[in-house]
Amino acid sequence: MSKIKALVVDDSKIMRSAVKRALNNLMLADFEYVEAKDGEDALEKFNKEIEIMFVDWNMPNMTGVEFAQAIREQGNDHIPIIMVTAEKSMGKVDKALNEGGANEYVTKPFTADKMHKAISDYFDEEGNIAGGGDDEEEDKSFFKGILNS
Amino acid sequence: MKLAEIEELEQIPEELVEKVEESVLNTFGSIIGEELEYIEYENGDKPLNGIIGNIAVFNTDHTLSLMLAIPKDTALYFSKVFIGMELPFESDDMGDLVGEISNILAGDVAANVEKVGFRGQSSLPTATRGSDLTLFMPNKPPTKKMKFISENTEFLLTMVLSESN
Repeated sequence: MSKIKALVVDDSKIMRSAVKRALNNLMLADFEYVEAKDGEDALEKFNKEIEIMFVDWNMPNMTGVEFAQAIREQGNDHIPIIMVTAEKSMGKVDKALNEGGANEYVTKPFTADKMHKAISDYFDEEGNIAGGGDDEEEDKSFFKGILNS
Repeated sequence: MKLAEIEELEQIPEELVEKVEESVLNTFGSIIGEELEYIEYENGDKPLNGIIGNIAVFNTDHTLSLMLAIPKDTALYFSKVFIGMELPFESDDMGDLVGEISNILAGDVAANVEKVGFRGQSSLPTATRGSDLTLFMPNKPPTKKMKFISENTEFLLTMVLSESN
């Protein structure tokens, strides 16, 4: 099983550790982590080997949504972006998913179960990135259903 | 909800207070896994030996400041339940933790007060550690002090409504 390179972006070191610990405990894959303390730092550390990203919203210098937009504008549409954030309003969820191009939205404080539900479809049984594809669209439709209700 | 000019407000509108109280109960209930109880608290002038988490939910007109005053023992307990180990009280990580807890609370507050017409965004959090800390606000804006207790924790929340600069 090859290691999945994950970028974890949060201005809180405690939260970066919490995300890494949750991912390790889920045992969906064997992860190798790159950490960044804000969107600017994440843009500098981003490279083509990154396979999945866990991104906070509210950070200094560049927010998580601005970072996600920048990544998508570079043409990196295939990399799953999981927002892990304290922002809970439907307007924020809508902005992250539709303007930011994020694939999933996990609110803090998160449980292992919540994280598993958000990301398990992105991994196959061998612990490789499964691609998202149709599932990604399905999930976005699910969120849009909430937003429109 | 249309807020009056701050000068005309003697206190924070009750519907805002209720939403913030609801957010505190939900957020800390999730974090520590204990049921919290809200206690009316008027005398908030007792100096604190602990850590204060500051954050605000703001829009162009108004700023709702939230100041969490957390005694040392409660801060240590938060670290134990949040990250699985007790952090040294004097460490940078403790400030990081209280900042993050403030951030999580503000996210819930922002979503909750939006339901009563206060649409705003969260600021970045700050944390201040020390002994004999006393919170006070110049110009006496509308303020509400609340105390929360659970089996293993107690903390104060001071909320202040002011005009945005």
